[in-house]
Amino acid sequence: MKSIRAFLVMVLLATMTLVVFIAALRGYRASMVEVEALLDGQLVEMAQLLDSLHPDEFSRTEAYEGEEFAFQVWVSGKLLKKSASAPRTLMAPLTAGFRDGNFNSYRWRVLAKQGHTSEQWILVAQRADLRIRLAEEVTLEAVLPIIASLPIAGVLIWLVVGRGLQPLRRLARQLGDKRSDDLSPLPVSGSPAELRQVINSTNSLLNRLALAFDREKRFAADAAHELRTPISVLKINMHNLSRDLPGDNPNLDKLKDGIERVGHLVEQILALYRSTPEQFMANFDHLDLHALAQEAIGRHYDEFSSRDQQIELVGHSCQMVGDHFALETLLQNLLSNASKYTPRGGQIRVSVRSDNTGATLLVEDSGPGIARKEYQRVFERFYRTGGDRHGSGVRGCGLGLAIVRHITDLHNARIELGRSSFTSGLSVTISFPVSTVNRVGCQA
Amino acid sequence: MLLTSVIIVLREVLEAALIISVLLALSRIAGIRLTWIRWALGTGTLAAIIYAGSTAVVSDWFDGVGQEVINALLQVAIYVCLVILAMYFSVDHRAEEGKYLRLRLLMVIGVSLAIMREGSEVFIYLSGSISDLSQFTSVLTGGLVGAGIGISAGVLAYYLLLNLRRDILPYLSTVLLAFVAAGMAGQAALLLIQADWLPSQQALWDSSQWLPEDSVPGQLLYALIGYEASPTPVQATAYFGGLLLLLVLVAFHRYTQKSRASD
Repeated sequence: MKSIRAFLVMVLLATMTLVVFIAALRGYRASMVEVEALLDGQLVEMAQLLDSLHPDEFSRTEAYEGEEFAFQVWVSGKLLKKSASAPRTLMAPLTAGFRDGNFNSYRWRVLAKQGHTSEQWILVAQRADLRIRLAEEVTLEAVLPIIASLPIAGVLIWLVVGRGLQPLRRLARQLGDKRSDDLSPLPVSGSPAELRQVINSTNSLLNRLALAFDREKRFAADAAHELRTPISVLKINMHNLSRDLPGDNPNLDKLKDGIERVGHLVEQILALYRSTPEQFMANFDHLDLHALAQEAIGRHYDEFSSRDQQIELVGHSCQMVGDHFALETLLQNLLSNASKYTPRGGQIRVSVRSDNTGATLLVEDSGPGIARKEYQRVFERFYRTGGDRHGSGVRGCGLGLAIVRHITDLHNARIELGRSSFTSGLSVTISFPVSTVNRVGCQA
Repeated sequence: MLLTSVIIVLREVLEAALIISVLLALSRIAGIRLTWIRWALGTGTLAAIIYAGSTAVVSDWFDGVGQEVINALLQVAIYVCLVILAMYFSVDHRAEEGKYLRLRLLMVIGVSLAIMREGSEVFIYLSGSISDLSQFTSVLTGGLVGAGIGISAGVLAYYLLLNLRRDILPYLSTVLLAFVAAGMAGQAALLLIQADWLPSQQALWDSSQWLPEDSVPGQLLYALIGYEASPTPVQATAYFGGLLLLLVLVAFHRYTQKSRASD
């Protein structure tokens, strides 16, 4: 069933049409019988009237010249009087009662009635086609309004069914309009009894889902938080150990690298948790996106310099409204990614520009880039292109772009990946809506 | 006049509506897009108008029995389409999407021919009767009532079939298609008797006293199982032969498909 409304309207209308039309047919047949009886009664009355006339009166009266009726008056086997439309021969055998006969190129309904004397016979007839037409006209007058009312009934059914399904459509709209992170219960009041169970079950499911999400987030954040102190202790112990042990020890380097990775992972998990809409304590204020990018580049300069990478900042001051800390984290992740995946001696460009559609932050690198089919998946948590055995051999935990996505969502910004303007590499474009910039504006 | 119009239009519309309902329901269950019905309705209506307009020419063919012979050929063509469709739908083909195009084409041909055959009868009758202005209202009303009953019965049959248990539908649809197809074979035989191509014989029985053909239940049974109140031996042979042939072919097709699947 594609649509409940279409199903109900079609089935109801079909049932109604079937019932009404069959009833109309039965009514038509019954009415036809009634009208036939009425017309037969008319013939009987006509025969009685002719019978009441004295034979002498027939010679004084003028013959009926209409074509609808015909009559004959026979006395002792002789035709005493006839209408213009009647033949000179008997219209029907002289046996009392109704029968059908053919004369004057028409079919007739004939009544034979014995007169007040046994020698006298009255024959009256009516044209069958005219009788049927008359009967049909009378009957159709009764049947036509029933048939004509069907389209009106169809429209009414359509409207009533639509009205009846409104609560269901409202519920579907409420569920459809829910944001993916909105797990608040649906309103139960005012809903019909048939839907109450559905709403209650949905609310119960939403509640369980919210609790499960909360538990999951808390667990990751709490675990990361609890791990911070032992990792710091590990780092100190590592430092002391490297002083005590002689010279270059490859095992010690691997251990140091491992501790760094765990420390980075814990920090990223905490950043991800803090940037979720439920946990984020937004502190939106006026800031200069260009200046923020400049600061971030400055903080990462050693990283770029150690890999002989060229970093360039394009654009001018761009005032906007945003969360300073969150945007700093965003820039930090993007620059860190760009540096990590750009080979030694490569190029990185950060552009800040604005137009009447809003402000745009563009980070491009000359690294290997990402395959187009991976553009959506790289925003998933812990997802790294090429899996755990990442081809670049670069250290990472697959949370950077997930954090960036959270922060862009918080600013109602749009993030797009593409090819950089260098010969190879990735471009990350973040478009901030005009609402975040128009209050202060950007210097082009 | 009204009753005559009802019976003639109902007889033709009901038969086409029943074929369409069964094929639509089977298409829905098999996951075939229903767009084929638009093509079938369009081409069928156009063909019916053209065929009805060419009655005078067609009637002169085959020594004056052209219309009967062509109508009989149409009935046989519809029968063949229904046999192939019944064979196809008797087996679960959901995985073979490549066959859907050919199947849709076959349904368009089958339904178009049915609409052409039944529709042309309605057009011929209505255009002949409506020319008498005094009977315009009753003929048109009768036609409307007949078409209304036929289409409504088709709509209800469609939803009834859709609401059946999925495992029952193929069997019931095969039985329905078998009876409708057998009716087509019986009608083809009747038309060839009328054309004097087959011998005219004494009726095997006459059940018009109990169930007249020109009553609504009679018409419903005519569309559903090809009911004839007084069939001749030739008609009965064509009917039961057609029914048996379809059932045997369907059973054989099911058997071969099952054997292939088990191999």
